[in-house]
Amino acid sequence: MAIRSQLLKGILEGCILAIIEKQPVYGYELSVKLQDFDLEVSEGSIYPILLRLQKEKLIRGQMEKSPSGPNRKYYYLTEDGQKSLEEFRHNWEWIKKPVDHILRKGRGNEHKTINRRK
Amino acid sequence: MNTKQLIEENNQKRKHLTKENKDYYEDMLVYIRLAYDKSEEETEEVLSEMLDHLLIAQEEGKTAEDIFGHDKKAFADEIICELPKMLTKNQLSLMFMGIFFFLATALGASGLFDTIAYHLFNFGSLYKTYYLGTESVNLVLSIIFSLLFLVLILQYLKWSSIKNLNSVVEFLVTWMIGVMTSGSFFVIYYFMPDFGYTYQVPAYIKIIIGVGFAIIGYIINKRR
Repeated sequence: MAIRSQLLKGILEGCILAIIEKQPVYGYELSVKLQDFDLEVSEGSIYPILLRLQKEKLIRGQMEKSPSGPNRKYYYLTEDGQKSLEEFRHNWEWIKKPVDHILRKGRGNEHKTINRRK
Repeated sequence: MNTKQLIEENNQKRKHLTKENKDYYEDMLVYIRLAYDKSEEETEEVLSEMLDHLLIAQEEGKTAEDIFGHDKKAFADEIICELPKMLTKNQLSLMFMGIFFFLATALGASGLFDTIAYHLFNFGSLYKTYYLGTESVNLVLSIIFSLLFLVLILQYLKWSSIKNLNSVVEFLVTWMIGVMTSGSFFVIYYFMPDFGYTYQVPAYIKIIIGVGFAIIGYIINKRR
């Protein structure tokens, strides 16, 4: 799935912050974790997002020796990142229910109209 | 771990890619590296991350296109857009290095040419008369033009690394850039009127100053 809109980008950013909060990750690891949560984004699309999050100082990248040998860039959540994640959580809780409700109700009305036409 | 090590590591690791993945990745690598106003360190870091990712994915039977999408230009543009600008200090020293090497080449070549022409072919003279006003205007214009052509060539390389041009088109474009460069230098030097103080410079002094500038350029590059 290509990332189609700003909205989806913002949500994906929030999810990446939440994953990094639990545990520092490197690029490939992050893409695997997103897939484990059934978030099917194209694997490469995390790299522009990681760069942006670094530029906004929400995460911090650090080259480290991995247990298996090669150098890897691990990402850590910064203090600003923590704040931004809390804000995302808050906004998500605030918008999740009403949007679900509206979408469900909208579909309900549609059914009614179709039924009436019949 | 510094940038040079990262580049070296990248060269080694790239050898493990399949032909198809290597072609895709290298096009992207050239295109992203040619974004000259970006931080070199961050650029190499993200390139190495993406290479590591591709190497693991390759083991799982995936291709570069599966990972980065079928439109490599769009993806590379997205990466470039998010890369932080290069530190100004680094950029400045790069520019000064370029100017010193440019002056070194111009002076050294002119000095060598005069010496060879005089001793071997008995042509011209070892002492040339220069006009201070003319030379300084020529110098400033040459530097500006060189920078302009540099940007033009970089833009062209960036564009051609993603398009697969046929060799005739590629030759024509390169030829045109070459003609335009040498043509504009010729026009500047030929039509610039003589003015300002006159002074005589022996050929060997030009060579010495040229070597001096080359050393300064080299030191700037080392310390960068």
